[in-house]
Amino acid sequence: MTNESGENPIQTEGDIVTCRKLIRNVTSAAGFGMTDVTRIVTAVSELARNVYVHSGSEGVMRWQILDKPGQIGIQLEFEDFGVGIPDINQAVEAGFTTAGSMGMGLSGVKRLMDSMTIKSDVDMGTTVSITKWGRAK
Amino acid sequence: MKSMEHSHSKYLSNFDNWAEQKRFVDFTDKDVEFLKKLHPFAVEYADTFVEKLYSHLMTFSETKRFLGDEKTLMRLKLAQKSYFIDLTSGEYGKEYFNSRIKVGIVHQRIGLSPRIYMSTYCYYMQLIIPHIYGNPAFDADTAKGIFSALYKIINLDQELAISAYIHATDEVISRQTEEILEMSTPVIQIWEGVVAAPIIGMLDSSRTQQFMERLLETIVTTNSPVALIDITGVPQIDTATAQHLIDTINAVKLLGSQVIITGVRPVIAQTLVHLGIDLSGIVTRPTMASGLKVALDKLSIKVIDSSKE
Amino acid sequence: MDENTLSVIKLKNILLVTVPDEPGDDIIHELQTKVLNAIEKYQSKGLILDISNVNILDSFFARTISETTQMVALMGGQTVIAGMQPCVAITATELGLHLGKAISTLDVDRALDIFSDNFKLV
Repeated sequence: MTNESGENPIQTEGDIVTCRKLIRNVTSAAGFGMTDVTRIVTAVSELARNVYVHSGSEGVMRWQILDKPGQIGIQLEFEDFGVGIPDINQAVEAGFTTAGSMGMGLSGVKRLMDSMTIKSDVDMGTTVSITKWGRAK
Repeated sequence: MKSMEHSHSKYLSNFDNWAEQKRFVDFTDKDVEFLKKLHPFAVEYADTFVEKLYSHLMTFSETKRFLGDEKTLMRLKLAQKSYFIDLTSGEYGKEYFNSRIKVGIVHQRIGLSPRIYMSTYCYYMQLIIPHIYGNPAFDADTAKGIFSALYKIINLDQELAISAYIHATDEVISRQTEEILEMSTPVIQIWEGVVAAPIIGMLDSSRTQQFMERLLETIVTTNSPVALIDITGVPQIDTATAQHLIDTINAVKLLGSQVIITGVRPVIAQTLVHLGIDLSGIVTRPTMASGLKVALDKLSIKVIDSSKE
Repeated sequence: MDENTLSVIKLKNILLVTVPDEPGDDIIHELQTKVLNAIEKYQSKGLILDISNVNILDSFFARTISETTQMVALMGGQTVIAGMQPCVAITATELGLHLGKAISTLDVDRALDIFSDNFKLV
């Protein structure tokens, strides 16, 4: 059960749904509650779509189940090899949008998760890591 | 059972800290050697000690009730015997550590107080001391060394068991706290199509999440177009609490139901305005009764006072 | 449920669309086109989106609903979102999503009530 992990490519639009289904299964099996599963899967949808839009054909999602006494967690990483984000602070502000979504992208995802970190190099790509903890059942 | 495994694993991961604890009480290889010297006598008299201890325990009603039938008693005595023998075995590794932790957890679970556990050690000391001092096999210095080593290992034992005991109690408390939290914000159907949720106390982030989930679930299962959230029991409101409330209201709206906030006392109304929190778009009423009237109105339900007909 | 098709059902002067549980981007695109074509064809006065099966609503889907609602309004119709699940509503709120001018109802029955002649909008 512990230290389960894996990855899934994000290369086509269909991969967004594949990633969502995969993470829905993984988080349900790990014992997350319904609402937390929905939060995590929604965050996956947002970030996977970002990767797909920004990197076209080379993106990847990695996941790992975390474990500490009385709690369950998941860490997810979304990596693209696109143009990168020049101003990370601006990107996480509510209302910022590049891909024509509702401008809720990164700031909204941050609200759904316990933590979010972004690493980005201009012209090299971006990696967004998110973590969510839940009560173990 | 699950929680026991959890406590267990938590202590297992802290096994490293135990080396630190040994250093604290200055428990060294020398002490191990001293304890090994005592070991043959501890083994020889183990049965006698156990018998004496248990007949002593039988004279107290508090302990007697834990000893149970003949079969249980036999099992307990055997466990106690190996426990005493392990004390001087010279092996103080992970297995030893685990056995001591387990005692604390089991005692907490069955409700045997640490007082009994501590007293048992005191009784054991009285039984073993004549075999340390006054034992022709040991000279005065050796006897002193053995006594000191025994005192240290018992202290280490006690620290482990009591910590595990406290930890197990903490777990019970945190579980109960959660249950109380849930009970303190009930969500109830008060009319066909109307649910009510009185909030008592401050709304923090984790409490709001729980509350929001239960409120929304109840609205859906009872198919209620109106939800009354009563804040009479909220002592003070801050920006964060207000934001949580607004989140809840928006989520309810997405479901297709409407929130009416009731129990807005003067001090809350003042604070809301001073904080610049905008609740215009939301129906608010001073009392739950007046809120219910609005709800019934929305559902086109008329309540008739039959005495006035 | 077959996720690759989406049927728009005409009920008198209303359209009813049941969205599958995990709608992909293609389905969501299809939704908008199919709905608008059907409104034109049947001159419908309203659209009910039954999302009671849907277990994820992300910003892309929310934006499409909001836009479709606007487009349907331009063609003279009202959009009603029926049966959103609690966990979806909580997540949508936290994510900061909004559905524009779409009205929500607890289920399809209540959505149908909205389009009935003597309905009083509360």
